[in-house]
Amino acid sequence: MKKNNAIELKNLIKTYGDVYALNDVDLNISDGEYFVLLGPSGGGKTTLLRSIGGFIRPDSGSVVIKGKNVNNLPPDKRPTSMVFQGFALFPHMNVAQNIGYGLKLQSIEKNIIDEKVNKMMDLVGLTGLHNRKPHELSGGQQQRVQLARALILENDVLLLDEPLSALDAQLRKDMCIELKRLQKTVGISFVHVTHNQEEAMSVADRIAIIADGKMIEEGTPQEIYNKPKKQFTAEFLGEKNILIGKIHNLNKSKIVLDINNDKIEIANNNYDVSKNQEVSVSIKSESIQIKKNVKSKTNEKNSIVGKVTEITFLGQFVRYLVLLSNDQEIQVRSSEEVVNVKLNDQVILNWKLDDFILHNE
Amino acid sequence: MIIFFVLPLLLTVVWSVFERTMFWMEPAFTFFSYENFFFSSRLENFLSSMFHSSISVVCAFFIGFPIAIFIRRRVRKVAQHRVMLLFILPFMVSEIIRIFALRPILSRNGVVNSFLMDMNLIDSPFSIFVFTPTGVVIGEIVSFLPFMIFSTFLALEAIPNYIFEVCADLGVNRRRMFKDIFLPLAAPGLFAGSVFIFVNGIGIALIPTILGGPGSVNAGLIATQAIIALDFPLAMAVSAIMMFTLMGLLYLGHRLFNLTKLLEPIS
Repeated sequence: MKKNNAIELKNLIKTYGDVYALNDVDLNISDGEYFVLLGPSGGGKTTLLRSIGGFIRPDSGSVVIKGKNVNNLPPDKRPTSMVFQGFALFPHMNVAQNIGYGLKLQSIEKNIIDEKVNKMMDLVGLTGLHNRKPHELSGGQQQRVQLARALILENDVLLLDEPLSALDAQLRKDMCIELKRLQKTVGISFVHVTHNQEEAMSVADRIAIIADGKMIEEGTPQEIYNKPKKQFTAEFLGEKNILIGKIHNLNKSKIVLDINNDKIEIANNNYDVSKNQEVSVSIKSESIQIKKNVKSKTNEKNSIVGKVTEITFLGQFVRYLVLLSNDQEIQVRSSEEVVNVKLNDQVILNWKLDDFILHNE
Repeated sequence: MIIFFVLPLLLTVVWSVFERTMFWMEPAFTFFSYENFFFSSRLENFLSSMFHSSISVVCAFFIGFPIAIFIRRRVRKVAQHRVMLLFILPFMVSEIIRIFALRPILSRNGVVNSFLMDMNLIDSPFSIFVFTPTGVVIGEIVSFLPFMIFSTFLALEAIPNYIFEVCADLGVNRRRMFKDIFLPLAAPGLFAGSVFIFVNGIGIALIPTILGGPGSVNAGLIATQAIIALDFPLAMAVSAIMMFTLMGLLYLGHRLFNLTKLLEPIS
């Protein structure tokens, strides 16, 4: 079933001086979808979010929300609400006043406001905190107040600008679960900006990677994490094992790569590449098997030899750094220490054919 | 704190009950000076000077607060402090000269009247601008307006920018913005500025001396005149009364508006 688009962005461009904050961004976000804009700081994701909310006017391009072009509308006339970075509450109002303020502006009757505020406070888990002032609340509670203040207006889209960045790690995890639950309950589209991949993975239905004002790629968290199409995505998601090589040979099912005279085979998942093209490939450090080797060559398939340069015990797993003959370094994560692999040993690394992912750029 | 604040205040009260001698005073316990104050036209003058100070405070609020809001909202961040510096410029000139300069501006043949006459807005010059209580109020506003602007601007500067973005998102109009956002958040600054202007309004003898007519006397002037007349206990009594009045007002303000709440740090 194809869902309607809640937000359609076309050819969005925004420059600050010579710098492109947004460089021709196209993006569609569906109704009722939890969409995350993920990327490094200064990559343009907040600019993108603020253009949707109306806080920034793009230089060109169009913002369509619910089928209506909102390019020239101010933030309050758009069917969007915003949760701001940090704890953006009115310091002189208590929790209930903060949440109900948006409704009060619409001259809605007081008892209706009270009723809605109560419902909203129950929904976000603030029951009984009506009269607390913002400075009497914890960081998580303050963000809940912001959420309630935005959701009570019953707009079609909720925009969240790094909503959890000021919270500590444990609280952030809890709030992620909470946000996801909240989004399913209210059923509207959430657009969430973050630079934290864990946060993005745990809440998103779909993720767009934004960097240098451009959309690098989009997909479900699984697609983005397991099969990143672009080298940038792999790097951004913390992939250390990125090898650059030339395509030596290819057929429908396999690609043979030449990485400084070491040949490795990878599965061909309909990659759009041609012979002799320079490409990068990556492999998850937990997908590699490591074992001791005495020879300096290997005849096994899907394997490569190297020398262990570092062994680090990291609690849940052990990390091996292996230097390949072509001076590239590979990280291997093993859930337990491999017997008899010691520092400076020659080792063989093995993997399954489809563990390697090829990146076009 | 004790040496520079409590001790002088205590001495003021102690000396105010001393007995007057020809050139100085001698220890005693008499309320003669207070009687002298309360049962003469001095009380009336004192009350009217409080009234005029209040008018100055209100005028300074209506002129100064919008200026502070304008600077906070419409002037670029980097330029804000430079604009504020402009309001310090008048203080480069001595207060006496500043206030004295108002005389040629406000007098019957002064700049303001000539301008109004030239524009055919009035037929005969206004004579209430100077040597009247109105003159004193104008003088107080001119002298003390910067303090209202400074104190409210400082309070407004502390308002984080996100507040304005939230307001834009919720669609807060100007009137609401003023009432719901600026007024409560600038309250500590408004309060400080108002107290400052009020206290100076009743306490500074210079302005009524230069701009006031025969009828406009404030507490500061009464005390000054008492000192000139070598009636030190009376001068002390007037000062003590001013002090107690102020404390009373602060207490009243505290009871009415809960000052601690008003002044609690905005976090």
